[in-house]
Amino acid sequence: MSCGNPTAAEGETLMPRRKKYDKTKYCLRCKETLGNIVIRHAVYCKDCFFPLITHKFRRALEPSVNSKPDVSRRTALRPDGNLLVGFSGGLGSTVLLDLVHRCYVSMDESTMPADGGKQHPRHEKVWKRVTVCYVEICDAFPGMRDRTSYVRQLAAKHEGIDFLPLRIQDAFDPEWWETVHAPRDAPGLAVNMSSEELRLSSLASSSSSSSSSSSTPLQALHTYFSSLPTATAVPTTIETLIRLLLLHTALRTGSSHLVLGTSLTSLAVSLISGVSQGRGYNLKEEMQEEWVPDAEDTSVYRAPSHQAKDKKVAANGPRKKYVRVVRPLRDVGRKECALWAWWRDADVVGNERWPWSGAKQDIGALTREFITGLEKDYPSTVSAIVRTCTKVEPKGQPAGLCVMCARPVQEGIREWKSRISIRSRNDSQDIPPSTSASLTPCLCYACHTTMTSRSSRPAPALGLMASDRPTVPLPMWVGSGVPLPTRMSEQRMRDAVHEFMLDDVTDT
Amino acid sequence: MPPRLCSLCNDARAILKRPKTGQQICKECFFWVFETEVHSTITEAQLFKPGDRVAIGASGGKDSTVLAHVMKTLNDRYQYGLELFLLSIDEGITGYRDDSLETVKRNQQQYGMPLKILSYDELYGWTMDAIVSQIGKKNNCTFCGVFRRQALDRGAASLHVDHIVTGHNADDIAETVLMNIMRGDIARLGRCTLICTQGEDTIRRSKPFKYAYEKEIVMYAYFKKLDYFSTECIYSPDAYRGHARAFLKDLEAARPSVIIDIIHSGETFEVKEEVKATQKAQQTCKRCGYMSSNELCKACTLLEGLERGMATAAITERARKKLDAEGPALESIRTIPFFQQSPEAHSTDAPKPPT
Repeated sequence: MSCGNPTAAEGETLMPRRKKYDKTKYCLRCKETLGNIVIRHAVYCKDCFFPLITHKFRRALEPSVNSKPDVSRRTALRPDGNLLVGFSGGLGSTVLLDLVHRCYVSMDESTMPADGGKQHPRHEKVWKRVTVCYVEICDAFPGMRDRTSYVRQLAAKHEGIDFLPLRIQDAFDPEWWETVHAPRDAPGLAVNMSSEELRLSSLASSSSSSSSSSSTPLQALHTYFSSLPTATAVPTTIETLIRLLLLHTALRTGSSHLVLGTSLTSLAVSLISGVSQGRGYNLKEEMQEEWVPDAEDTSVYRAPSHQAKDKKVAANGPRKKYVRVVRPLRDVGRKECALWAWWRDADVVGNERWPWSGAKQDIGALTREFITGLEKDYPSTVSAIVRTCTKVEPKGQPAGLCVMCARPVQEGIREWKSRISIRSRNDSQDIPPSTSASLTPCLCYACHTTMTSRSSRPAPALGLMASDRPTVPLPMWVGSGVPLPTRMSEQRMRDAVHEFMLDDVTDT
Repeated sequence: MPPRLCSLCNDARAILKRPKTGQQICKECFFWVFETEVHSTITEAQLFKPGDRVAIGASGGKDSTVLAHVMKTLNDRYQYGLELFLLSIDEGITGYRDDSLETVKRNQQQYGMPLKILSYDELYGWTMDAIVSQIGKKNNCTFCGVFRRQALDRGAASLHVDHIVTGHNADDIAETVLMNIMRGDIARLGRCTLICTQGEDTIRRSKPFKYAYEKEIVMYAYFKKLDYFSTECIYSPDAYRGHARAFLKDLEAARPSVIIDIIHSGETFEVKEEVKATQKAQQTCKRCGYMSSNELCKACTLLEGLERGMATAAITERARKKLDAEGPALESIRTIPFFQQSPEAHSTDAPKPPT
């Protein structure tokens, strides 16, 4: 309907370029020194740049440190648990690690606000224990380098911070699951990805009926990836797996806060990419979220062998189990991050390019490329995107949490999908009876789309061994979240009718 | 190798792959599924009631040509009981609109629907050719968009219709959601995924093709042998929309469901109450009586700028201040004619233009 013309590139059709800075070449803060960096038309010198970024970092993180986020920032910061830093090796997480170390571990005086004096409570250590968690994804595809040891060396430079490496296949590893949660019969589940309904089966029964091709977590991961319907589903799934691994690791380390190195630029990219993948209901969580595990997950298990420090945390007594995910660099653009890393001489491991051919078919990568290009002509784009998304909220009350990504699910997704795209001439086939074991009702719109939406192009060639199994193993946390029909125990039956029982009957 | 059967009827030979679902289906099932989806969009949103007078915004392009055909088909098949009209706006772009209006005139004959053509020249005293000759190509889409919206409303009022339906398709809406987020246009973001909005004078505006893919609309026109004009507007420099459209096409190539996924995203959020409270309340234009968020509606402001030789007055704040500094507009300045939808109902309370 519109008359836009993407190929129009005449001079008069483009927005005129503005000068890089508005008024003066001198630093906006100190007004004395010639500027070294222009941040969205404002000029800053090198000396003023560091306090500026530190201030933005603290301003984004500290209001959410105390359990009540609205507590005055003049009071001391007393988090409910430890701090977990999600580290990917990219620019944002490198800067984040440096800032966390300076502000909360090495207590670098230059990062402290000048007001309030040295005895001010904010000069005390905030976090008892800070852990860096790195999730290595090299095993997902052939030909990728394992960078764990390099990241370990980098982390070791930050004295006072623990290092905890994970591998992406841990998501399918019962042993890893047991290090986080009390050992119990977590039902290993498999799913049939060939239909929209995503029929569920028990992993034990499906593996016994065929070869033991998914016997190891890595093979389970490969089976999962090679069963995904589109190329873009692979990076989306990797992101989800990493996020959930980090959340569960936060539980394991007694951390009330998980910080991620998402910069303003990458936040804008992930918001647009999320909208494009049907994640509009979770825009709020994309910026900041608080994950409260299910009731069953509150019995977080800390293995006795897992370091003495864990015991120390456990000794502090039970706390309300939640993990608050904060992105303290959300007001800091990628350019500022790059300059911070450059001037601070920080080693950036960098993100490795994925070796598989589907990389150009990745919605996240396409969005990144688009936003980066748009920002050149329209410099306020990234902040406009983030600002706009802070002004909207999800419609209505959520109908629970998605078992895959642990984010709120909107009601009526299946009905909406079947109404918008008719896939059958028989009305009764659109929505099958709810009694059948299906993963679909437990998923959010975006996760369901990731697992079922197909492309006219062939499925991605990942260089992995194609599985001959009809069903695909699911990540460990899915098994604990899906309500499967189970035989009711006598105790549970009694609990259900307890209030209607007369005393003498209850006692017998 | 035997021919592949249609995955909907399992009977006829599949001849196309549906862009929206990837299913391989036959021609008849495609017509059925396309029309049924539009029907369920209409019934789910309860867009019409029997006896409604509905104007189809017809440009002669693919969307409105298919819309006219589908509306006629569904009205007959499901007995909506609608009185359908064709409403065309002639922007006055030589070599672009005059050809496509011929298509609309043919539709008038084929479907036996009354046609009303309203021109910018008649309404505003300016054609787009004249506007572009004064302001150049830059920003001309601002004029055309504002003028077209008002022209549709005024044309509909002159036809005494209750409802205008336009051919905005799923691709248009997905593109608009992305653009509004990227431009920070929170007011439009809140309403761009609504299927029905209230226009001027209780005339409702709807988009029955809200969930219909552009590719499927073209496919429908192709198999139904509907002819339409596909010329790009010769004054189309909306570079920002062009960027968004190219981006959406890339995303669609990665995963075709992306268009519906974006619309779903747009439908799941709403503007926060505290933000809504800061938005301007709607009022009535002091000059022409059209709905407005300022003293003067956007069309009157643009028109005043054109008449006074300062066309950018409604586009930049600086130009507006300059215009204000030159004093108020002459009383003889052109007033956009206001068509009352129902003379009886509005004889006492309809706002009148100042004399």
